Amino acid sequence: MSDDAVTSDLTRSNGFTRIKESGYGGVFLACAAVTLLTTVAIIVTLLSDALVFFSEVPLTEFLLGTDWSPNPRGRGFSFGIVPLVIGTLTVTVTAAFIALPVGTLTAIYLSEYATSQVRAILKPLLEILAGVPTVVYGYFALVYVTPALQATIFPQLGTFNALSASLMIGIMTIPMVSSISEDAMSAVPDSLRQAGYGLGATKYEVSTSVVVPASLSGIISSYILAISRAIGETMIVVVAMGSQANMPPIRETLLGIPYINPGDVLFESGMTITVSMIQIAGGDLTGGTLPYDSMFALGLTLFVITLIMNVLSDLIAQRYREAY
Amino acid sequence: MSQNESTIDSESESLITTDVQPDTTAESASSATTIVETEQLNVYYGDDQALDDVSIAIPENQVTALIGPSGCGKSTFLRCLNRMNDLIDIARIDGTVTLRGIDIYDDAVDPVALRRKIGMVFQKPNPFPKSIYDNVAYGLKVQGKEITDERIEEALRSAALWDEVKDQLDQSGLELSGGQQQRLCIARAIAPDPDIVLMDEPTSALDPVAASKIEDLIDELVEDYTVIIVTHNMQQAARISDQTAVFLTGGELVEYDDTTTIFENPADDRVEDYITGKFG
Amino acid sequence: MAVETDTDTGFGEVSRLRGTVFEYLSLGASVVGLFALAALLIYVFVDAFGLSTASPAWLLTYFLTLVVPYIGFCLYSISDRAFTRKIALALGGGLVVTAVGFTAIETLLVSIPGLTWQIAYLFLVATPVVASVTFVASRQPLGAAGFGLVGRLVGGAALGCAVAIMFIVIDRPLWFLVYTFGVLPAGGVYAYTSRREIGWPTAQATLVGLFGLGVSTQLRQILGIYPSDGLIYLWTLAVPLAAGAAALVTLRDGSRRAVAGVAVTTLLGGGGGFVLGSSALPTGSGVIIGAATVAATAVYLVEAVDNEGRRGLLLPLLIAGGALAGAAVVQTVGIPTPEMWLTPAYLTSAPSNEAANAGLYPAVVGSIIIIAMVAVLSFVLGVGAAVFLEEYAADTGLVGRLTRLIQINIANLAAVPSVVYGLLGLGLFANLLGFGFGTAVTAALTLSLLILPITVISAQEAVRSVPDDLRQGSYAMGATRWQTVKNVVLPEAMPGMLTGTILALGRAIGETAPLIMIGAATTVFSAPAGIWSRFSAMPMQIYAWANYPQAEFRYGVVAAGVVTLLIVLLAMNGTAIIIRNRMEREH
Repeated sequence: MSDDAVTSDLTRSNGFTRIKESGYGGVFLACAAVTLLTTVAIIVTLLSDALVFFSEVPLTEFLLGTDWSPNPRGRGFSFGIVPLVIGTLTVTVTAAFIALPVGTLTAIYLSEYATSQVRAILKPLLEILAGVPTVVYGYFALVYVTPALQATIFPQLGTFNALSASLMIGIMTIPMVSSISEDAMSAVPDSLRQAGYGLGATKYEVSTSVVVPASLSGIISSYILAISRAIGETMIVVVAMGSQANMPPIRETLLGIPYINPGDVLFESGMTITVSMIQIAGGDLTGGTLPYDSMFALGLTLFVITLIMNVLSDLIAQRYREAY
Repeated sequence: MSQNESTIDSESESLITTDVQPDTTAESASSATTIVETEQLNVYYGDDQALDDVSIAIPENQVTALIGPSGCGKSTFLRCLNRMNDLIDIARIDGTVTLRGIDIYDDAVDPVALRRKIGMVFQKPNPFPKSIYDNVAYGLKVQGKEITDERIEEALRSAALWDEVKDQLDQSGLELSGGQQQRLCIARAIAPDPDIVLMDEPTSALDPVAASKIEDLIDELVEDYTVIIVTHNMQQAARISDQTAVFLTGGELVEYDDTTTIFENPADDRVEDYITGKFG
Repeated sequence: MAVETDTDTGFGEVSRLRGTVFEYLSLGASVVGLFALAALLIYVFVDAFGLSTASPAWLLTYFLTLVVPYIGFCLYSISDRAFTRKIALALGGGLVVTAVGFTAIETLLVSIPGLTWQIAYLFLVATPVVASVTFVASRQPLGAAGFGLVGRLVGGAALGCAVAIMFIVIDRPLWFLVYTFGVLPAGGVYAYTSRREIGWPTAQATLVGLFGLGVSTQLRQILGIYPSDGLIYLWTLAVPLAAGAAALVTLRDGSRRAVAGVAVTTLLGGGGGFVLGSSALPTGSGVIIGAATVAATAVYLVEAVDNEGRRGLLLPLLIAGGALAGAAVVQTVGIPTPEMWLTPAYLTSAPSNEAANAGLYPAVVGSIIIIAMVAVLSFVLGVGAAVFLEEYAADTGLVGRLTRLIQINIANLAAVPSVVYGLLGLGLFANLLGFGFGTAVTAALTLSLLILPITVISAQEAVRSVPDDLRQGSYAMGATRWQTVKNVVLPEAMPGMLTGTILALGRAIGETAPLIMIGAATTVFSAPAGIWSRFSAMPMQIYAWANYPQAEFRYGVVAAGVVTLLIVLLAMNGTAIIIRNRMEREH
């Protein structure tokens, strides 16, 4: 073989194959770019209408107003997000009361106590909890859970109430807490456990005073994710909690410190940020009206909150990934 | 056998390297036509240096063995010859490698075209999860060469596998035994008729019987191809190779010569220590 | 530290009480959510099938004709005496325990609404027993053969139904023309040129196909007369299906007779469906349902009749026979039947304000059409993005930075609430791009973006699981990146990518909030006519009905809808798991 032949053999091929190669690379890049474009599109869509909204309704009124009535029946518009925030907080906090302890205990059980066989069965089963459509959970809350609670513990419960919705959200977010926390706990090196046992600690003591503290950042990051999920949850609340944007009565203790009675928000219908968006969408979608724009303002609020929480959870989670 | 218990310090190392390298390169180049030649080849993975100023001339139609302790850079060197290191982001290559006088790291050279002239066999047999036939035909297919039953048969015969698999060409390559899989990989590598066959410890994952079959095969392959083989098994290098290059830790080529010279009369003390099992 | 108490050993003993309590507490926590969900599911199933109105005699009849023979089949295929004894004990003992326990609770504590001890037995004892014997029997040749056949029958029919439903929104005459002048010639050109190795088969076939497409759209404007729907289905779906089934059998070393047999029976299935279709099913749909069912079954039977577990193939007959026998007994003895809500009529009729006439049909059609579009879109985008991130992206330089950005972005997108995606769909697709409020296209695009992060992440995992030495082997042979991706990476990663996509589709099919945001109709009374028309989906219909105050809706119609949705979900996830297990067995 002559040198010339080798040279021509080895040089980069121009033409068809080259175009084909970069063409396919470009197609794959374009697919990946769609994910970036989605984020850009979300931000642009939310911002463009939200900005129109904020040019009409001042930000302070939106954030501090205590009356939410986007439908101009009677008194006209009023866009104060506070009642929605109270509704969202009620649901989120109550759901967290269920999901966080139950999820953490589940994670401890799976990581420290369960045999590998039990774990192989339990883990996929737990994922089912997160896989049931949320509208189905909402239906369960409305037609089974609320009547059951009314018949037994809380006779004063309304047909639409925050409690049943929160219970269902709590159950739905258990696997989110348990799977991420369990990952963090499994990442704790065995040597730490051995050290605990070496000091004469029981399994309970090793679990609670060695494994849990060592995986704390992972556990907290799972909490944040679960809470963020609860904040954004829509259908359960829409179906089971109804849509009354009420300000609960502010009571005062003997010393004059204002407080809100949990019963006032839990047992009654209420409205979350997500529900109000659904409610407006049920009416008017053609655009250009103030209620329409208010949806995007609410969406932007929701997006910013969940984004901050996600970034926060990521930063915290990185700590445990770095540790081991 | 050398009774000389030398602990190697960096001073003696640099001394020996400088006086060994020039004459070995010259000597090997004189014995046959050189097909691949490297000059001052340095490879870095990030901040780690994997090859240190390797200069070597590899003759055509001979078996050249690369030996040395693990982590000495012999596999890295092999992967420089067909630019497989290009696939590793952090790898940086410095120096020249020429194939028949052409710098293969030249900007005009397409690594894909280069690999089409150089077959490679890996440490662990890695047949594709396709039929035996499709495995052998793979190179022809991707290189746009005509796939004929004759060529497949020829490649399988050259790899001493034809008689064992001729009735089951449609079966998955994964159903073969480890030794058969490795011979299938050799058939796959030589089917497109490359100039050089690189082998990266091709027998280390095999049992002794399968390994000796591969060794016999290499003996036959060398009539048509240039074989460059990495091995950690010194007996194997002694048995099958014409030339032997010894790498030591740090990616340094310590000695390169006729296999007989390396094994019977090495110039470098460290090579002697390594061969007699005192080092590495 | 735990309390120490002195004992005779001198070492003392550390109290484990707290530890034991904690262990059981955490075990309880692990299952409390599952128990709650299980209880709710039992109630919704009871409501959907009207089981609370079922007489004990009715339950007993079907238990004896259907459940007991089925368990018997499973135990026979397992043929393990110890196991059989255990199952018999569980069934018998469970009967006593449930009856006594349930009655005791009802008389001593509280009455349990909506349940009887027979129903409790059905769900708490019989269902787990059936599940466990099914699981064990599926690992025996006999059971595997039987379940395989049942699976093909049901799967084939379901697939046929799905395709038939998708064709509702397609202009069938146009499809007929496109198939005849585009698809068929293009396939022929591809087969011929690639066998003879003339030119670039893909490019030539594409050209022919595009030309055919152009011709067809022109012809559609001119031609006035077309074959009936049934004939179109037969020609464009049943015939290629028969050819495909025959080709599959050929690949598996089938004899010529087997090949011809499969092809002929598939066509006969289509023909049979045609005949049925004119009476019971919507026109033409019967053809594809019949052909798909028969093709799936026939291809399976060609192999299975030679396997050792071939007697298991009688299982479908056992089940059908049991159901018929049960019906006969109920009819002759005059046992009252329960008022079921989830019936074939429910699935094939339109919504109504009267509970007794209400149906889910338009919503089912809407869901299937959207999911089909979402499947295509998100699979293509997900796989493409995953291949870029895993095979093309670099760690360093500009591309490296872009890759990291995309990766972080995907993680964040996964946490964006679905209602916000709804706003995106509303603002971008419905309003800005003008795809319309509540159209199937807007919904499909919105849901595709919603599940894209999940599909990308799971596809990435699948691509990452392809062993690196295969890639190395391919590159060393002088393959280009695309050749390596096409020939090595994609085929190996395909099962994993399919599994991930199906699981993500499960998420999409239950999503409601984004559909409301884009203005999807809560109730439509007829199936959508095309992808640009307004539609409803199963979760939308459930949402709409859930607000109805009447008990027949709350505890009947909606329950039936929920169960339908859950069964569809279960089928999808089951398919994904079967694909994954197949894949694991192969490696």
